[in-house]
Amino acid sequence: MRLYETAFLIAPNLPEEEVEELLKKMEDVVSKKKGKMLNVDNWGKRKMAYSINKFEEATYIFFLYEGNPDIPAELERRFKQTEAIIRFLTIKKDPREAIRKTGKRAKKKGKDFEEKTETFKEEEIEEAEEEKEEAKEEKEAGRKKKKEEKKEKDETGEAAEDNQKNKKNKEEK
Amino acid sequence: MVKDQKQDRGTYRKYFTPKRKVCRFCERNVKDIDFKRIDILRRYVPERGKITPRRVTGTCAYHQRRLTTAIKRARLLALLPYVSD
Repeated sequence: MRLYETAFLIAPNLPEEEVEELLKKMEDVVSKKKGKMLNVDNWGKRKMAYSINKFEEATYIFFLYEGNPDIPAELERRFKQTEAIIRFLTIKKDPREAIRKTGKRAKKKGKDFEEKTETFKEEEIEEAEEEKEEAKEEKEAGRKKKKEEKKEKDETGEAAEDNQKNKKNKEEK
Repeated sequence: MVKDQKQDRGTYRKYFTPKRKVCRFCERNVKDIDFKRIDILRRYVPERGKITPRRVTGTCAYHQRRLTTAIKRARLLALLPYVSD
């Protein structure tokens, strides 16, 4: 499943009823192929930046849908067949990027970010404390290990004395 | 004359420190530039219809790449001109 956006321009001389029919047909293509139509944008008649096929205006339509790659292929095949469609463009969209598009969403995201940072601080403090405790434990474990090693090396009562000395030293420190 | 010009340039550099340009898209945390939002794209396409270079607008490399593709897509759909004069 992929996210696609298809845009196409309909010639201005096509009556509005036929435009609606055409739209329905195209939407059916998506639904028949088990695609999920997410958004249909109709900008209406609009002046083009340059003339295409000697037309100065065109109706702009944008489909946003989810589905398998055979949907855009089928749509484009139909676009080529119908003369009323002057131009079309299909884009593969990255769903992760579609989430943060407009200004409003970006602002919202900013708020979320602030909230996250706030929670982060608390978590960080807790984590830091935990880490400290862990570090202490590790140190103690390390000391014990050292003691054991020494014991093994000496194999006599001297090791115990050494340990006591070490302990005293540590306490002094 | 040549000397004078050089001196002028020197003084110009002394007294004018250029403002540091920041990428507008990075500021707003935009990741994807949509080819449908012509109001945004228009800012980067002056009268002649050419795409403004990065050194002028201060857009970062990542967003400049996105911007050019968006503008080219908009051109295909006649939302923006290829050439205009």
